[in-house]
Amino acid sequence: MSSLQTDVLVIGGGSTGSGVARDAAMRGFSTLLVERRDLADGTTGRFHGLLHSGGRYAVKDPPAAIECIKENLILRKVAPDCIEDTGGVFVVTPWDDPAFGDRFLAGCKNTGVPVHEVSVGDTLRREPRLHPGIKRAFTVPDAAIDPWKLVWSNVRSAQEHGARMLTYHRVLSLDVDGGKVMGAVLQDVRSGDEVRVRAEVVVNAAGAWAGQIASMAGCEVQILPGKGVMIAMNHRLVQTVLNRCKLPGDGDIIVPIRTTCVIGTTDVHVTDPDTSEITKHEVDFMLDEGEKLVPGFRQARALHAWAGVRPLFQETRAKDIETRDVTRSHALLDHKKRDGVGGFVTITGGKTTTYRFMAEVAVDAVCEQLGVQRPCSTAKERLPGSERGATYQLGARLGAREPLPQSEEIICECELVTRSHLDAAIARRETDSIDDIRRLLRIGMGPCQGGFCIYRATALLHADRHLDYATANHSLLDFLEERWKGLHPILYGDQLRQTRLDDWIFQGLFDVRHLPR
Amino acid sequence: MTYDVIVVGAGLAGLTAALRLSEQDRRVLVIAKGNGATHLAPPVIDVLGYAGDKRIESPQKALSGFVVSHPGHPYANVSADVIAESLDWLSRRVPELGYQGRLDENWLLPTAVGVPKPSALVPESMVAGDLRRGGRFVFIGLRGLKDFHASYLADNLARAQLPARVSTRFIELEPPHDRNADPGSVGFARRFDEPRFRDWIVQALAGQLEPNEKVGFPAVLGIEKAGEVWRDLERRLEHPAFEVPLLPPSAPGIRLYDALARALRQAGARILIGDRVAAGGSEGGRVAEINALTAARPVAYRANSFVLATGGFASGGLELDSRGSVRETVFGLPVAGMPDAGEPMFSPRYFDTHAVSRAGVAVDARLRPVDEKGKVVFENLHAAGAILSGAVPWREHSGNGISLATGYAVAAAILEHAAPRIRVDARD
Ligand SMILES: Cc1cc2nc3c(=O)[nH]c(=O)nc-3n(C[C@H](O)[C@H](O)[C@H](O)COP(=O)(O)OP(=O)(O)OC[C@H]3O[C@@H](n4cnc5c(N)ncnc54)[C@H](O)[C@@H]3O)c2cc1C
Ligand SMILES: Cc1cc2nc3c(=O)[nH]c(=O)nc-3n(C[C@H](O)[C@H](O)[C@H](O)COP(=O)(O)OP(=O)(O)OC[C@H]3O[C@@H](n4cnc5c(N)ncnc54)[C@H](O)[C@@H]3O)c2cc1C
Repeated sequence: MSSLQTDVLVIGGGSTGSGVARDAAMRGFSTLLVERRDLADGTTGRFHGLLHSGGRYAVKDPPAAIECIKENLILRKVAPDCIEDTGGVFVVTPWDDPAFGDRFLAGCKNTGVPVHEVSVGDTLRREPRLHPGIKRAFTVPDAAIDPWKLVWSNVRSAQEHGARMLTYHRVLSLDVDGGKVMGAVLQDVRSGDEVRVRAEVVVNAAGAWAGQIASMAGCEVQILPGKGVMIAMNHRLVQTVLNRCKLPGDGDIIVPIRTTCVIGTTDVHVTDPDTSEITKHEVDFMLDEGEKLVPGFRQARALHAWAGVRPLFQETRAKDIETRDVTRSHALLDHKKRDGVGGFVTITGGKTTTYRFMAEVAVDAVCEQLGVQRPCSTAKERLPGSERGATYQLGARLGAREPLPQSEEIICECELVTRSHLDAAIARRETDSIDDIRRLLRIGMGPCQGGFCIYRATALLHADRHLDYATANHSLLDFLEERWKGLHPILYGDQLRQTRLDDWIFQGLFDVRHLPR
Repeated sequence: MTYDVIVVGAGLAGLTAALRLSEQDRRVLVIAKGNGATHLAPPVIDVLGYAGDKRIESPQKALSGFVVSHPGHPYANVSADVIAESLDWLSRRVPELGYQGRLDENWLLPTAVGVPKPSALVPESMVAGDLRRGGRFVFIGLRGLKDFHASYLADNLARAQLPARVSTRFIELEPPHDRNADPGSVGFARRFDEPRFRDWIVQALAGQLEPNEKVGFPAVLGIEKAGEVWRDLERRLEHPAFEVPLLPPSAPGIRLYDALARALRQAGARILIGDRVAAGGSEGGRVAEINALTAARPVAYRANSFVLATGGFASGGLELDSRGSVRETVFGLPVAGMPDAGEPMFSPRYFDTHAVSRAGVAVDARLRPVDEKGKVVFENLHAAGAILSGAVPWREHSGNGISLATGYAVAAAILEHAAPRIRVDARD
């Protein structure tokens, strides 16, 4: 067993953990981030993609709204490259209570969420597919946020500040000695090798899995995992984030993301955070709700569906124990105070929108445990890639390619990924998994869902990394199974047609079922 | 305007039926929304490659057992003799492709990922790829052609289960940079049409080939001058050369379409591509006309007989809506092979067989669509090709075989039973 030493060990490579790693590294702690799968392969890579303005919570949960708008404005400054500034609009549809509009306006004003009532006519001109029967409309500064870019730029920044990262390393156990967590035992899930880490403080940022990690230190943290389903549609049916103006419910938001738009979501209590099943009922429900915002939604082409699991924390401890419950929207647990276990902090719940703030309070707690005072600077320092201060513009890849249209092969036509993009990603990721590369480049996420690029990517992996045939074939077959999870729940119309073409390509033309394993 | 027969769909099934009927002096209209799978698929005619997990060496021998264990299969309505006849017929009708093969043995050709795939009838430009007798193979990669990766192919093929020993290697060539760096396979095929590009290939390979090696190229050996390109390379390389099929679009598939369309026009048929077709009127249990939905207004076409050859879900012949109801898109025919209401259509694992995979139109022995009770829907409407229910052709490796054989058989059924051809003076 090899061993490593660090000041801060961060468990979980989602938005929270990558934010904690960056913050800790910037405050000068030696930091190690560990993740059992790939970065942003937990809830963060399976969320709805909305940088909340706070409007959604303005009536129901004002502290959450205040936190959202504060962080929204900060992220626009420090992480603009991860954000597309689509703007957002709340609309009162014929199914919503018109009186809620006034409560919404008042809620936004009370929480500082910038809101403007706009005319129905203007709104329909801006969003021609929107239901013509809407009664009122309010604009807010919602935006779209790219989880992969966000997590990767946080990790890159952390690395620039000396942090290390181990992906595909699962925490097997925590070492607890004399009422203090001393470190952890990890397992490299690809080789099976174990690694012992000694740490001054362990930060549990394992999201919906935080309860599992906490129990390794004998602490009870109850997470009620809440599963939500989203469906990406083939077009940007809307250009702004569309919200129903009502108390937050299911299937009431459509977020435009790059060339697609995504409807979501639901909230179903599940027992296992690894659940990702999508039922026919959930899909039907979502499409019916989509019809209320955009008539004809059912005729549009669905591309892919996925499910994420919310880390909903429930305090089981008596009220008088100080838990530093900073707001109702996230949970910071100092286990020294809460459970008498030192060197251990849990940060869970919350939202990607507020990840930076969650990281800040978590690292404040780390400082407190270590008895040092080091200020946080993540609200000021821009993330790598965001130096220019410009938000992401739709069509950026096309823009970059247009001046040199003839320069090289395009490997993924849907997402305009060139061969040099792919070669660079393969070199940088040192991975054999096409899914890992997808999270970096978005290959296989467009209308053909990888029908054309998977073969090319596999063959380039095989060549660039000198893979043996079995590993290369495994990558290809694995990706086909993985993408199927998000395809089979929404196969109808043109997406079924596309999939049939892919069946012909993979099973007919190539016959991948008979590849040597 | 009245025809003897209107064929809806311009894939292999529709073109085969139309050409057979035109050969017999029937006045035929082929009308289709767009090109069919010819432009996507290689022109190899796979009749039956697998029964379950068993690779088939001789479709002739396997077919009788196969139709017994697959009762609703399209091959249940065409005898092995008719299938064999259809293969011979195609070989004769499109001499440009130099088809070779028979029903009693399958070739075994490498796919682009290096898996041996069984086919009954293959164009001459692919014959040298046959793996059954083993031997030495070298695959030629062309930098810039993103749809062919010779090293990956060679690596897998060396591990394939084969009756005889095969050795593989690859050579990467860097052809002179084209002005268009992402020309795709059809662009490369056009470059191969030019003698100068072939000069470059031959020079680049000079001294690099080993004795007795067969040379595998991506299937881009020309598009307009294909036969000439392949023969020229074989002659100058002094090695057998063959093509390996690629991702769509398919240059060799387009050659097949072009050859069939040429033959059809010579035989006097009319081909209209670009019009979606919808049902027109019917009279006394017979289809009287169909409507072509052109941009301006629907145009009605009348005929004595009709052939539905619209392909399955892949070509828009069938559609499934978001509520799970399925529709045959031209006549609204009953669709067989669907799971019961409420049953899942797809399995959560990709490589399982899925409940909707066999969906399509069920037919009687004369290939006329029937309803749930087996009753013929329209006296004079026939169906052929991938629109038929009962097959999972991408797993059986039976796609073009079904389309060719049923397209061929549908013509025979019409010739045998339909009213005599319309008189010459009724022609426009
Ligand atoms: C359906 C849905 C939609 C949402 N939409 C939005 C939205 O639009 N906007 C918004 O701001 N927020 C949204 N959220 C909330 C937001 O996505 C989550 O709060 C956030 O992603 C949580 O990030 P995290 O880093 O805490 O957790 P995660 O991203 O889940 O990260 C935890 C990581 O820990 C890893 N891990 C678990 N166990 C171990 C172990 N033993 N060893 C090592 N690693 C381990 C996991 O693999 C995982 O990657 C949504 C949530 C859901 C469920
Ligand atoms: C990528 C790929 C690889 C393949 N590889 C092989 C292989 O190696 N071996 C093999 O044997 N088979 C292969 N196949 C399968 C084979 O090509 C098809 O099964 C077969 O050609 C289908 O022919 P078809 O004429 O029945 O239908 P199609 O070729 O699908 O033609 C259908 C026609 O109907 C038209 N149409 C549909 N709806 C309407 C409408 N409403 N109005 C008007 N027109 C309409 C379409 O435009 C089209 O012209 C492959 C297929 C693909 C896509």
